[in-house]
Order: sequence, then C-alpha cells, then structure tokens
Amino acid sequence: MTIRPDDRLLDAPMQPLTCRRCGAGVQVRKASWHQTSVQWNADATGTCQERRTAGAGVFAGCAALRDSIVQAALDGEIAVPEES
Amino acid sequence: MTAVEAGNDDIRRIEAEAVPTRFARGWHCLGLSEKFKDGKPHTVKAFGQKLVVFQSGDGKLNVLDAYCRHMGGDLSQGEIKGDEIACPFHDWRWGGDGRCKKIPYSRRVPLRARTASWVTMDQDGLLFVWNDPEGNPPPPEVTIPRMEGATRDDWTDWVWTETVVHTNCREVVDNVVDMAHFFYVHYSFPTYFKNIFEGHVATQIMKGTGRQDTRPPAKDGEPKLLGNDSVASYHGPSFMIDELTYHYDTMDINSVLINAHYPIDANSFVLHSGIIVQRTDTLPGPAADEMARKMSSFILKGFDQDVQIWKNKARIDNPLLCEEDGPVYQLRRWYEQFYVDVADVRPEMVERFEFELDTTRPVEAWKREVEENLARKAAELSASTGRPA
Repeated sequence: MTIRPDDRLLDAPMQPLTCRRCGAGVQVRKASWHQTSVQWNADATGTCQERRTAGAGVFAGCAALRDSIVQAALDGEIAVPEES
Repeated sequence: MTAVEAGNDDIRRIEAEAVPTRFARGWHCLGLSEKFKDGKPHTVKAFGQKLVVFQSGDGKLNVLDAYCRHMGGDLSQGEIKGDEIACPFHDWRWGGDGRCKKIPYSRRVPLRARTASWVTMDQDGLLFVWNDPEGNPPPPEVTIPRMEGATRDDWTDWVWTETVVHTNCREVVDNVVDMAHFFYVHYSFPTYFKNIFEGHVATQIMKGTGRQDTRPPAKDGEPKLLGNDSVASYHGPSFMIDELTYHYDTMDINSVLINAHYPIDANSFVLHSGIIVQRTDTLPGPAADEMARKMSSFILKGFDQDVQIWKNKARIDNPLLCEEDGPVYQLRRWYEQFYVDVADVRPEMVERFEFELDTTRPVEAWKREVEENLARKAAELSASTGRPA
C-alpha cells in the first residue's frame, strides 16, 4: 500500500525542536494546548538520556523533552493555534 | 464551537486501493493452546490457506499447510500418530518440521517431500504462529512479552472469545488511534490519551472516566467507579496486550486484556478477546472469576458495536481528519512495515512517533502563563533598552 501523508501537516507542518537537556533534535507539532505530536528519528532516540536509561517495556516519553516543548510553546517558538 | 471553513467546493472522493493480497509478517495468536491439545488435528483457515494444527507425541504444537503434498489430502481430517500427522488419504506421515517422515507402503520417502510449516510458540496458555511471506524465522527481538498473571494462581484463568469478522483486518488496527470512537462507540471518556509507535510496537495509553450519562449511578454500598488506566500495545501486526486497571472508591481491579486477530483471507479475520483478572482480598476467588466474565461480555459488546460499523462502512485510504482526530496516517505508516519485505522497511515506518492529548490542565492556565511570559519579556526588553515597552 502507498504510504500517504497526513493532510493536516500541510496547513501546519511539524517544527524542529532541540531538547534543552540533551540536545536531541525532534520534530514537534501542537494542534492545541492539549495536543502534542513528536516525530523522533534514530539520532534523537540515540541521544535522549531518559530514552537510553529507560528499562524494558514501553518508554512512555521523556520528561525533559516534554518540558522543552511546553517551554517552547509558552515562548511562542512552537506555534499553538488559537482555540475558536 | 466548530468553525466551518468555506472556500472549497470540490467533492471529497473516498479512495481505496485493493486490499493487500499479502499477509502480515509477525506473530499471530490462534487462541488458547489447550483447545489444540485434545489428541486430534485441527483445521485453521488463516493467511489465505488451510492449516492443520496438531500436538505431536512430544507435547509440542505444530502448524503445517493442511494439504498433503502427495495427492492433496486434507491432513486436518487425518490422525495423529506419534510425533506425526497422518494423511487420511494414503497415510503419509508428516512431522512438525514439515518433512515427510514415513510412507507405510513405501520403502523410501521421495526427495522434495517437504511441506510448508509455521514456527509456533506455546506461551502463557496461548498458541502463536509466526507468519512470514519471506520464510524467515522470527528475529529474537520481535517477540510477544510474557504476561505474568497468565500463569499465576492469584489471577483468574483466561476468559476467551473468538468471533469471525467479514472485513479486512486493517479496520481493527485503526482503532488504536481512534480517540473519538471511544466516546461515541464505547461510551468512555478519555482525559489523557497517547499513542507511541516505535519499532514493531504500537502503544495506546489512556486514562479515562466512565460517562455518567450512559451508566447507572452506583447504588448504596456498591463500589463507585472513578476511572481507568490502560496501557495497550500491539506487539507486531495483530496481538495487543492491554494492562487495564479500574479504579473504584474502595479498591483497584487489575486486569490484562487481549485484543488479537489473525487473517482468514484478505476480507475476513478471526477476532479474539481474552481477559484475566487479579484476585485480591477485596476481589477474592469466585468474585474475580465473575468480574472476568462480566468484563469479557462487556468487551464483546464493544466488539459488536465495532462490527456493526465495520460491516457497513467503506474502506478508506484517505480519511479526512480534523485536528481532534488521532494519528491515523502515522499508524498506517507503522502498520505498513509488516506488509513489505524486511529489506524494504523504511526508517519512517519504525522511527518513534508520539501523539499525546492531555486535557488535565485547563486551557486558561496555559494562556495565563503565556501572558505572564510575554509581560516578563516586555519588561526585560524595556529594562535593557531603557524605554518603556
């Protein structure tokens, strides 16, 4: 099957973001204050400190990266659409 | 409020390629292994073929193509003789490794007397088969994790169900990301929702509260349901383990839910549900069994609701999504890895992707903080330039 792109990214693409703790580079998008998408790549998963020291099982997410994203959104570096 | 955007009058067309003729690479659960240990061969239609499942004398469960390579007899109608399955047509004996071991009326087994066999795994009371169109064995890192409760006395036995569904199995996998359908179809109300796709694992984390409008309030003396926590992962294309905890005012109920399927052919699959519940002081022996049965029938109700939708819906490769929908396209990108050769798995199919919805912090709090930040920045600016902002 063809892999199709998510049309929602046409209007508001993902934006690059660097984690303030470890420097891992990811792509971030916020559809609202409540919603966050993060696209990692192999470099980022290899760099992320929390990811590297996590045990077996599902890695739910990196707290430092989350803080970086929140801060970037609050600082206006990551766009957050106005709620209508 | 929903803002309706004007400006495009073209009719949106639903697009759908033909369903894939290839079946997913990965571990597939055929159900409770006990079922196959009754001394008889079993017919299983899966991956567009007819298979025979039989327990050899050494206790191992084996899966072969059901059709005898001699004259095409159906091995699943045959008989187990020692470690082999004997064809009902001419008694040719086939081993679990797919090789013909003996032809009672012949001195020699011909060359090339080898049939298709599937790698099996009998784990936690469940029978798994490894399907790979390329014919490779399962890599060690691609496995089904053990479920501790499945073999422990302080957990119930499996309550297991099987349902045949007449549609392509992508529909069931799509549910992993379909946040909104939990509210409309399953009457639950997620306050936190997260998807994580990485490698061959796709996860859904959900915290929710039951919808007050669809559930009778707890009577006096009955435990009151406060909410639930769920961490559910697909380990490969078809087997999902859901660690689900229900929080009541007086206790927690821990359970493990299985949502699994295997394809019969391109347009039908067998959908399995399984559940085990932990026995505790507040939920001792029979009460836990009763709870497992109740939860099982609740899950079946959910499946029925899904099936009603699937029976009548169109296959759609280009779903039109709003911002509140989950990452359907990213899930399907992940799912595609199981339908291509290993050499053709692209990084984007397996790289980590996260989608999170967290409604626990009100929007007003976010906005207040942004305003404070802006005010602080303006103050800093005016301090450094000596001019009022």
